[in-house]
Amino acid sequence: MLMLMHLYLFRRFKYVTVLAFAMCLTSALSAQISVQGKVSDNNGQALSGVSVVVKNTSTGVTTDANGSFSISVPRKSSILVFSYVGFPTQEMEIGDKTSLTVTLSPLSGQLNEVVVVGYGTLKRKEVTSAVATVSAAQFNKGNISDVAQLLQGKVSGLSIAKPGGNPNGGYTIRLRGLSTLGANTSPLVVVDGQIGADINTIDPNDIQSIDVLKDAASAAIYGTRGSSGVIIITTKRGGRTPVVTYNGSATVEDPIKFTAHMTAAEFKAAGGKDLGATTDWNKEITRNGFSHIHNLALSGGTGTGTTYIASMNYRNVEGVAIRTGFQQVNAHFGLQQKALKDRMNFTVDVTTTRRNSHFGFDRAFQYATIFNPTAPLHTTDPLYNITGSGYVEQNFVEYANPLAVLEQNSNEGVLKRSNINATASYEFIRGLRFLVRYTQETNSNFRKAYLPKTSFDTRLLGDNQSGYTRNGYAQQQDDEGYSRLYENTLAYDTKLMNSDLSLNAIAGYSYQAFNYNGDFIRAGDFLSDVNADNIANAGDLKNGKATANSYKNASKLVAFFGRVNLNYKDIVFLAASLRREGSTQFGANNKWGMFPAVSAGVDISRLVDIPKVNALKFRASYGVTGALPPEPYLSFLLYEPVGRNFFYNGVYIPAYEPRRNANPDLKWEKKAELDFGLDFALLENRLTGTIDYYNRKTSDLLFNATVPVPPNQTDKKWMNIGTLESKGIELLLNYDVIKNKNFNWNTGVNYSTYNVKLTKLNKDLAGTVIGASNLGSPGQEQTQITRAVEGQNIGIIYGAIYKGLDPTGKYLFDDGTGKAVLSDAYKTKIGRGLPKFELGFTNTFRYGNFDLNFFLRGQFGHDLVNTNRAFFETSQPTVISSYNVVKTKFYDPALKSPLTFSSLYVEHASFLELDNATLGYDFKLNPAGGIKSIRAYVTGQNLFMITNYTGVDPEVRYAYGNPPNVLAPGVDSRDTYVRTRSFTLGVNLKF
Amino acid sequence: MKLLSILKYSLIGLVFLASCTKLDEEELIYDRATGQNFGNTDSEIVALLAAAYTNLYGNFGSDGSIMRLEEVPTDEIVVPTRGPDWGDGGHWVRLKLHTTIAADGGPTNTWSFLFKGVNTCNRLLNLLEPKVAATPSYKKFVSEMKALRAIYYYWLLDLFGNVPISTDFTKTDPPANNTKKEVYDFIEKELIAALPDLQKTGPNDNATYGRVNYYTAEFALAKLYLNSEFYTGAPVTGATWDKCIAACDDIINSTKYSLAPNYRDNFKKDNKGSSEFIWALAYDDIQATGFQLPHMTLHMASQATYQMGGQPWNGWATVQEFYNSYIDPVQNPGPQGPVVGTDPTGTTTTGTQDKRLSNFIVGKQYNADGVTPLLDGAADATDPDGAQINFTPYMNELQPAAWRQSGARIGKWEFYRGMTGQLSNDLVIFRYADIVLTKAEALARKANNWNDATALALVNQIRTVHGGVTPYVTMTAATFLAERGREMFFECTRRQDQIRFGTYNSAYRFHPADGDAHSQLFPIPESVINANKNLKQNPGY
Repeated sequence: MLMLMHLYLFRRFKYVTVLAFAMCLTSALSAQISVQGKVSDNNGQALSGVSVVVKNTSTGVTTDANGSFSISVPRKSSILVFSYVGFPTQEMEIGDKTSLTVTLSPLSGQLNEVVVVGYGTLKRKEVTSAVATVSAAQFNKGNISDVAQLLQGKVSGLSIAKPGGNPNGGYTIRLRGLSTLGANTSPLVVVDGQIGADINTIDPNDIQSIDVLKDAASAAIYGTRGSSGVIIITTKRGGRTPVVTYNGSATVEDPIKFTAHMTAAEFKAAGGKDLGATTDWNKEITRNGFSHIHNLALSGGTGTGTTYIASMNYRNVEGVAIRTGFQQVNAHFGLQQKALKDRMNFTVDVTTTRRNSHFGFDRAFQYATIFNPTAPLHTTDPLYNITGSGYVEQNFVEYANPLAVLEQNSNEGVLKRSNINATASYEFIRGLRFLVRYTQETNSNFRKAYLPKTSFDTRLLGDNQSGYTRNGYAQQQDDEGYSRLYENTLAYDTKLMNSDLSLNAIAGYSYQAFNYNGDFIRAGDFLSDVNADNIANAGDLKNGKATANSYKNASKLVAFFGRVNLNYKDIVFLAASLRREGSTQFGANNKWGMFPAVSAGVDISRLVDIPKVNALKFRASYGVTGALPPEPYLSFLLYEPVGRNFFYNGVYIPAYEPRRNANPDLKWEKKAELDFGLDFALLENRLTGTIDYYNRKTSDLLFNATVPVPPNQTDKKWMNIGTLESKGIELLLNYDVIKNKNFNWNTGVNYSTYNVKLTKLNKDLAGTVIGASNLGSPGQEQTQITRAVEGQNIGIIYGAIYKGLDPTGKYLFDDGTGKAVLSDAYKTKIGRGLPKFELGFTNTFRYGNFDLNFFLRGQFGHDLVNTNRAFFETSQPTVISSYNVVKTKFYDPALKSPLTFSSLYVEHASFLELDNATLGYDFKLNPAGGIKSIRAYVTGQNLFMITNYTGVDPEVRYAYGNPPNVLAPGVDSRDTYVRTRSFTLGVNLKF
Repeated sequence: MKLLSILKYSLIGLVFLASCTKLDEEELIYDRATGQNFGNTDSEIVALLAAAYTNLYGNFGSDGSIMRLEEVPTDEIVVPTRGPDWGDGGHWVRLKLHTTIAADGGPTNTWSFLFKGVNTCNRLLNLLEPKVAATPSYKKFVSEMKALRAIYYYWLLDLFGNVPISTDFTKTDPPANNTKKEVYDFIEKELIAALPDLQKTGPNDNATYGRVNYYTAEFALAKLYLNSEFYTGAPVTGATWDKCIAACDDIINSTKYSLAPNYRDNFKKDNKGSSEFIWALAYDDIQATGFQLPHMTLHMASQATYQMGGQPWNGWATVQEFYNSYIDPVQNPGPQGPVVGTDPTGTTTTGTQDKRLSNFIVGKQYNADGVTPLLDGAADATDPDGAQINFTPYMNELQPAAWRQSGARIGKWEFYRGMTGQLSNDLVIFRYADIVLTKAEALARKANNWNDATALALVNQIRTVHGGVTPYVTMTAATFLAERGREMFFECTRRQDQIRFGTYNSAYRFHPADGDAHSQLFPIPESVINANKNLKQNPGY
């Protein structure tokens, strides 16, 4: 069969092959070839200032105002590289042509777009594994300060969520659901080849494109860190023409949804204590946030092989909660220099960031829901002026004045990042290039909080202490992370079999070292709030009541890797890679892991002519990736001071004990994944799309498991405990519905499903419940609401099934047979924390100089535990004697018993949101003028949402608690920052 | 030529690689002590030994562990659900109703801390025993750890019964249950074997203060024998009572210990070295924290009374019947005077002024100045006490809405101005008065006569010296138990005592009578049963 196929291929392409061979010959003999061409965008508009360079040389020109260029190339096999800010770089072989029409498309799915993969690039058509590319033009727009936000909803299978609108909050990023229990659940981030960089090392404005390696085959080249997927960020580069761009925007953001609760009148009527006023606490603690962002970028190059880009970013973001927000300055400088007749290539990139944050306390929102709505803003009544602050306070559990929380206390931070990424490469012979890379990342995080003497809340620093109990209470914390990467790679590009087969191979060595250290101090008892900025003034430092902590740890990764990519006539594509990697974090008996991958693709449209089909590529891939233990030293039995001293011979001496059990067998998690994909382009490339099916199995799951005591020293041990399986389908479609000179309409949809099942636990843990989480304080510390069980999907929300109320107002629950009983003893799965599918839907219209884009995003099939309701939705004395009552459509005045958790408090949380809508206008300017282009736009974010969820934000919650428990998705915690809507006015200028 | 240069570079590369493939993590440990690099000097050994004791600090004085199991299910303590507070998934109520389940935190925490103690002793024995040949002075450490391990097992036997006996640190197979009798025999054998090496020091001896000495081991033996019927299931023989009395006499006749003339001195802030301390945990609000009684029992607003550096949780209290056993002249004859009554407003009434009423904090509460009433703007509308905080022995209900101010609070340990919520008072866990009462009970039970002259005299010694109340003329099992209750309130003996006297499963305040006696033992924690397939659950769970 293979033989036949080969013969067929040979016959069909014999002529072409011979011709190609002949062409090679001629080109080798001839001198310079002159090529003319014109570059336009996919709407037919000429692009000026596009850099056109002969690949691997410094020969290059830029297009003029009409998009035209003229260049001399040495051979027909020469490749021209077209690059333009905002578009993916495109390469084109000259061949016979002397006149080229080049269309640069900002859209993905194009077969010639450059796809960045681990340690290299491929053309889209050559990709044999599941890799998604999002270019700058497709990024989300508006008030964006986090790189993750650029991608939200854009890549099928990549879930990005941040419930609420906290400007200082981070995004949870998950690729294809959950593939690990105890290891890092976020994808590995690679910035311009720098592995493991923080995703926010680079400013969103400075990013050219982002590639997402979804399957194990593409991620396997990153070995022990590839299991949660890989996000590869490529920054903007300088072209040959000096270009100055300015992007500026201003945003107004306002809260759109608070947790529903009783008004002052309702509260009084239901029996709440009337303190005489009417106050809307949510209104008191929020405002319209005003933010502005500025980006100035200078780029260009010289004819002597130098290109540069320098970019400055300033962000000033106000949160909608009073006294929250941040200011950030970031600069990126990238320089590239070629030498030795373009054989030598040097690059240096330096990035630095400083962010000053005002975090406030998210708990203020929890309190705003439940604080007495009849309490006045200020009081002098000694019954309520407990601390003398003038704020109304009362002694209830987890209850404090929300306005006081934000107005009295400070919670600030300074984040500094500095990053160096330098490479030197040398091309020994044509196609054989050796590269050395050194990168260094330093992140430092300084945090400082102060609770003044009259500050009442005891929960702000998490240790049941308040400014009032400690006579002023300060906390100061400094953490630093420092990592260095050293890599050597040897890459070889060549063509074999008369250029029918192109081969692209790379081999390398990677060494990365990580160091972390930090210290922490908490101390109280200040003479005055005024001198509390200096923690050394704390009286606690003299009497021993202060607490301090410090740490230092390190780890190393060493790897050898290689990969081969084969392309046979753009028809059949093959890739295979292998990484052998070791980590200090593994146990002594399992230091090294092996991570192989193979993948293949075949473009059917190149073999058979199918009408209206421009490309039809099947791919299949299999790969193995790993995941590291989350921190160093987990395989050791370590002695640590117990924290309590022992009275020995009349003095106290420190006591030491082991903090965890040793596990010399601790090893990487191993994820094996099979991915089948289909990439297609139909109707003259107007309809493009990708479909993927994957099936992955993570074995040797890392988990801090409960082990029996005896025989173990302590009840926790980091172990490889079982197997997780997941599968899903991903679909990406793009269609140019209307495409003509005046009017364009492009529509795109992405869709993904997944389910994650805990298929097996090892024999010690078989049949047990792991990773359970409880509802929490007040009073529900032992009410289990989520769990993970062998043989079932991750994301079980667990409890009794609500069956209504009996005539006396008592809860009725299912007894397991469908009968309604008073006992909640029968508990079962009452919800799923993870969605069934996710959807993104984008539409771009262009009419004349106007363009309009709107983007809808949705997650479907997941449930949320509405904890606000589970604690406070009853007007029974247990709540109304202390708290305001949460009042959604589920509120039932007939309820006459204390709250008991059940399915009544679990809600379907599917939603569809108009995430982003942007209307832009491109001013047509004389290209010879000083300003080359002006674009103005207005963006609305979170414009409307369709959902039945009664809480503030139906977004999927991927983890619960602190530290985040990934086995407990689906819990909407009470301190969720409110959901916000924003409008942004922006301008892009190019000089 | 080119190939040559490639080879040259590759070789350089290879040399570099060879030096950069080491993955030994120990080289990267900066601030931690591993099993290999720690425990090699005497001071390090003492630091390790200390962990076997400090394990008790974090658990004995808190509301999460042994105190929870030994006190809350009895007739002397209640932890009610106060509206939205202290519901905690119902486990406090379950303790009171004797319906605790294997997943509850009480059994889980207690099992885990007691076996952690056993394991720590095993680990230290594994370290020390091989060194005894070279350093004979380590023999006393070895015996001390064995005695301490036996005492951990005494509590395990008391609470869980059929626990596995684990003595070998190096054995890693999950062990199966041993019978109660086997555990009992093991404890007895280990304690007796350790006695010769233990130091016969007194309560004021710094060298052994807070540690297990000869008399600590004798005390444990006496209590083991006293409860042997519950532990072994077999009726107690005269020989066992003799062993019990002998152990008590060994302590009493040593004359190193005596009843403190002032009961309260055992519990005051500076109680270190009290003459009754056979074994105490040397708590300190800075150095050795964990005694959280102020948090557990006081009202949030009480912070202002004591100028406390922490906010109390308004939980633990006693029930009115137990409080009444102090002031009721019939149950407790003695000098009469004004006392806080047991009606809903705690109206002052006439009752017995037992000096041990200092065990409770009752009545109206004031600011630190002693004059300004302590106010609660959130007082329950149905509570007749109003805004000024008034701790009444009366409690309206167990759940769901026990009044915030209800319940006599536990004031047995002195609360002092400026305390942090972690007391500096040492917590006595083996107290001389207990041995006096144990001897009295052993004599009475052996003679089958509660009016045994020596027994009566011993009990009356406690009544007069500590209570300042009238001696008993005659005694019954019930009046003996009541006296034991007044004296030993909140010292983790009530559960044993009620089981021994057959009242544990009967009806008392907030606790209806149990259908059977399975609740005398707690369930082995669910997480432990799940993780160790060789363990069988206790009957009835």
